[in-house]
Amino acid sequence: MEFINLVLIGPILEIAEYPAFFLEVVFGGLMSGVMYSLVALGFVLIFKASGVFNFAQGVFALFAALTLVGLMTGTMPFSLDKVLPELPAWAAIIATFIVMVGLAIAVERIVLRPLVNQDHIIMFMSTIGLAFVLEGLGDTIWGSEVKALDVGIPTGNFMIGEIQIQIFDLWAAGVAAFLVVVLAVFFQSTRTGRALRAVADDHQAALSVGIPLKNIWIIVWSVAGLVALVAGIMWGSKSGVQFSLSLIALKALPVLILGGFTSVPGAIVGGLIIGVGEKVAEVYWGPLVNGAIENWFAYVVALVFLLFRPQGLFGDKIIERV
Amino acid sequence: MFYRESGQFKTSYQSDQAVFPIRQDLWCVVAFFLFALVVIPYFGTEYFFQAIMIPVLIFSLAAIGLNLLTGYCGQLSLGTGGFMAVGAVACYKLTTGFPELPFIITLLLSGLITAGVGLLFGIPSLRIKGFYLAVATLAAQFFLSWLFNKVAWFQNYTPSGTITMPPREVLGYAVTGPNADAMHRYIFCLLFVIVLAMAAKNLVRGPIGRSWMAIRDMDIAAELIGFRPFQTKLLAFSVSSFYVGIAGAMALSLWLGSVETAEAFDINVSFQVLFMIIIGGLGSMMGSFVGAAFIILAPIALTNVMVSWLGMQAVTAKHFEFIFFGGMIIFFLVVEPHGIARIWQLVKEKLRIWPLPY
Amino acid sequence: MSIAEKNTSEAILTVENITLSFGAVRAIRDVSFNINKSEIRAIIGPNGAGKTSMLNVINGFYHPQEGKISFRGEVRKQMRPHEAAAGGIARTFQNVALFKGMSTLDNIMTGRNLKMNKWNVSLVPSMFYYGPTQKEEIKHRQHVEEIISFLEIEAIRKTPVGRLPYGLQKRVELGRALAAEPDLLLLDEPMAGMNLEEKEDMCRFILDVNDEFGTTIALIEHDMGVVMDLSDRVVVLDHGEKIADGSPDEVKNDQKVIDAYLGVSS
Repeated sequence: MEFINLVLIGPILEIAEYPAFFLEVVFGGLMSGVMYSLVALGFVLIFKASGVFNFAQGVFALFAALTLVGLMTGTMPFSLDKVLPELPAWAAIIATFIVMVGLAIAVERIVLRPLVNQDHIIMFMSTIGLAFVLEGLGDTIWGSEVKALDVGIPTGNFMIGEIQIQIFDLWAAGVAAFLVVVLAVFFQSTRTGRALRAVADDHQAALSVGIPLKNIWIIVWSVAGLVALVAGIMWGSKSGVQFSLSLIALKALPVLILGGFTSVPGAIVGGLIIGVGEKVAEVYWGPLVNGAIENWFAYVVALVFLLFRPQGLFGDKIIERV
Repeated sequence: MFYRESGQFKTSYQSDQAVFPIRQDLWCVVAFFLFALVVIPYFGTEYFFQAIMIPVLIFSLAAIGLNLLTGYCGQLSLGTGGFMAVGAVACYKLTTGFPELPFIITLLLSGLITAGVGLLFGIPSLRIKGFYLAVATLAAQFFLSWLFNKVAWFQNYTPSGTITMPPREVLGYAVTGPNADAMHRYIFCLLFVIVLAMAAKNLVRGPIGRSWMAIRDMDIAAELIGFRPFQTKLLAFSVSSFYVGIAGAMALSLWLGSVETAEAFDINVSFQVLFMIIIGGLGSMMGSFVGAAFIILAPIALTNVMVSWLGMQAVTAKHFEFIFFGGMIIFFLVVEPHGIARIWQLVKEKLRIWPLPY
Repeated sequence: MSIAEKNTSEAILTVENITLSFGAVRAIRDVSFNINKSEIRAIIGPNGAGKTSMLNVINGFYHPQEGKISFRGEVRKQMRPHEAAAGGIARTFQNVALFKGMSTLDNIMTGRNLKMNKWNVSLVPSMFYYGPTQKEEIKHRQHVEEIISFLEIEAIRKTPVGRLPYGLQKRVELGRALAAEPDLLLLDEPMAGMNLEEKEDMCRFILDVNDEFGTTIALIEHDMGVVMDLSDRVVVLDHGEKIADGSPDEVKNDQKVIDAYLGVSS
C-alpha cells in the first residue's frame, strides 16, 4: 500500500496540485523533444535512402557546430597561431553547409562505395568507425573545450497565464516543423525522393534500373548534413558545443524505435513522446529513486515498445520473401 | 617448404576434426602457450603484467564472449560494458556475502548470473530480426550502469560508491586483494582464460556453433531446415553473457582491485570490445585474442610515439587515437571484414606453397 | 524400379483450395492437388504462376488465407516451418540458400540437425566436446560422407561454399536437403543455370534418390525435356490457378497448357 502510494498516487497528486508547473514541465519536454526529433530526422533520411543506420549522425551535428563556431570566431584550425577573420553568422552557416557537403562526398567515396551491398550490420559498424574518426578530427581541428554558439536566435521568455515559455524553444519548434514539411514533400513527390526509396530497398536493383547510386548518396548525406547542421545550431546554442552532443546519436535509437525507422512524421512524434516522457519521469518520479532516470528512461520505453509494436508507430511492416 | 601438410594423412573422422589438423599449427600453439606459462612469468615485470598481459587476457575473454554472439551468430550487442558490470557486481556480492565459496566457483557463478540477466534483455528483443538487440543492449548498458550506481545495496552501502574485491586465494596463492602478486594473478588469468577459450572453441566447432552460423548466414533457410531462430539466438546471447560476465568479474578481482562500475564499464568499453572483434576477426577465436591485444597495446604504443618521441601534447594523442581506431574499423570492414585472423589465414595459405607462388 | 513398378497410389501430401494473397496481390487462387508417395511430381508454369509460393506454403513459410494442407494424414490450416522440417519435408531454393560462411561439409551437416540426439549435443556436453558430442558428430559425419560420395563432391568437402561455382552450390544444397533423410523433397528449379552435363548429373541424382530411398519428390522445373523424362505426374499453374493435372503426356497435349506456356513445338 505504501509502495503504491509512493509510486502512483503521490506523483499524480503532485501533478494535479500544480497544473501550471506540470504544463511547464510538459512544455520543456516538448521542446527537448523537438531537439531529439531534429537529430532523428537525419537518421531517418539516411536510413530511408541507404538502408544504413548512421551512428555518426550525432557526431555530424557536433562537427557542424564546431565548424560553425570556429568560422564565426575566426579560429585557426589545428590550434596553429594565426588569427582568421570572423565571419558573420549567415556566411558561416553557408560555409559550414559547404563543408558538410564535402563531408558527404568523402563519406560516399571512402565508406559507402566500397561497402555497397554488404550486410546491414557491417554498414552500421562502419558508421561507428566514422563517428570515432569525425569525433577525433573535430577535436583535433577545433579543440575540445566547450564553446558558446550564438547565431542570433532571439532569447528571452514570456508568460501565458502562469506558464513560462522560452522564445528560443518556439524558434526551434518552428524550424523543425519547417524542415519536416520540406523533407516530407521531397520524399513523396519528387523523382529524387522516389529514387532514394528505391535505393534504400535494394542497392543492386536500384543500380540495375540506372539509378546513379553515387549521386543519390551524396545528395542524401548532404541533406542529412544540413539537418545535422540545424540540429547542431539548436543544441549548441542551447547548451554549448561540447562532446555530449554526439551522445545524442544514442538517444535517437529509442526515438526511432517509437516512431519507426522509415517515417519522417514518426521521428517527430517519437521525439516529442520521448522528450516529454523523460522530463515528466525525471521531475515527478526521479526523486523517488535518487534521480537521473533520464539516463535510461528512453531506452526502457523503447524496449517495451519492441515487445508490442516493433515497427514503431508509423514504420513499415517488413515482408520477407524466400 | 617448412609449412606443408604432405605426409599428414587423416585416417579417421576423429583426427580430421581436430582443432589443429596441421601438425605445425599444433606445435606453434603449444610452444606459444609454454612460452606464456613459463618464460613470461620469469622475465615479466609488475608493470608488464598489470598493464599489458592481464588486461589482454581478460579482454580476450570478453571479446570471445562478444564474438560468439556477433561474429558467429550475427547479432549485434552494444551492452558489453553493462554486462561486464553485472559480472563484477555479482562477484563482489557473492564474495562478500558468501566468503566460504571458492574463488573459481564465485567466478563461474558470476558468469551464470550475468547469463540470467542477459536472458532478461534477450527474450523481448530476439523475437524480431534486425538490430533490435542492439537497442536492447544499449538500454541494458545505461540502465544497469545507473542501477549499480544508485542502488546502494549493490555496493554494500559503501559511502564512496566503489566496490573493492576482498583477498582470495587459489591453491594457497593470493590472487585477489592488495597483497596478491602480479605474477600469480597473471598465471591464474592465463590458465582460466585458456580453459574457457577451449570450451568456447568446442562449442563453435560442433552442432551448436553450426546452428549459430546458420542463423547468421541465412536465417530463413535455417528455419526451414528445422533450426529454431529464437532459441538459437537466445542460447548465443546467454553463453555470450556468461563469458562477458566472467570477464567483468575477473576485471574487478584480478586486474583493477576496486572499481566504480559506472566509470569502469561504461559505453566506451562496449565499443572497445566491439572494435576488438572487428579488427581481430569476426567469427574467429584467435581473432578475439589478437583484437584484444591490438586495442590494448595500440594506445600505449601511440602515446609513446606521439608524446615521448614527437613531443605532442597528451590531449592531441588522445584525439588522434579516436581517428586511428575509427579509421582502423572502416579500413578493416572495407578491406577485410574478417579481420586480422583472416589475413593471417591468407598468409598461412601462401606459406603452404612457399617458395612457389601458387 | 521403373515407373511402372513403383507403388504410387497413396497420397502423402494434399493441398486443398489454397488461396494465398499478399495484400491485394493474389499469388495462388483456389489450387488443389495431391502428391503421391514415392512419385516424382513436377510443378510447371510460366514465371509468376505461383510455383515457388506453393512450395513456401507447403513448407510453412507462407500461411495461406484459405485452404487446408494434409501431410501424412494430418490436416492443418497452416504449417510451421520446423513442423514441416520435423515431419520429413526438405527443400532446395531457387536462389541457392546455402550458409556462405561454412564449408560444404558443415553445410550438409546442418541438414542432420534434426536427426541428432538433443542431449548429446546440448550446451554442457558441447563445451567438453570429447565424449558424447564427438561420438554424435562422427556418427552423423558418416551419413554425410555417404551423401558426399553419392553426389561426387568429395574434392570440395572443406571448401567454403561461397567460393564454389553455381552448379556445385546447387549440388551441395541438394546434399543438405538429402541429409535430413526426408520423406518429401521439394526442389525449386534444381537445374537452373546448369549446362547439359550438369543437368544430366542432377537428373541422375534425383532419379537415384527416388529409386533407392523411395523419396517423394516435388519439382519445379522449366526444362520440359527434364520434366517429361523424370516426372510421373505434372501439375500446371498459370497466374495462380491450376490449369492442368495429369501424366506428362496428357499435360503436353493439353491445349490450355500449350496456349499458356508450352507453345507449339517444331
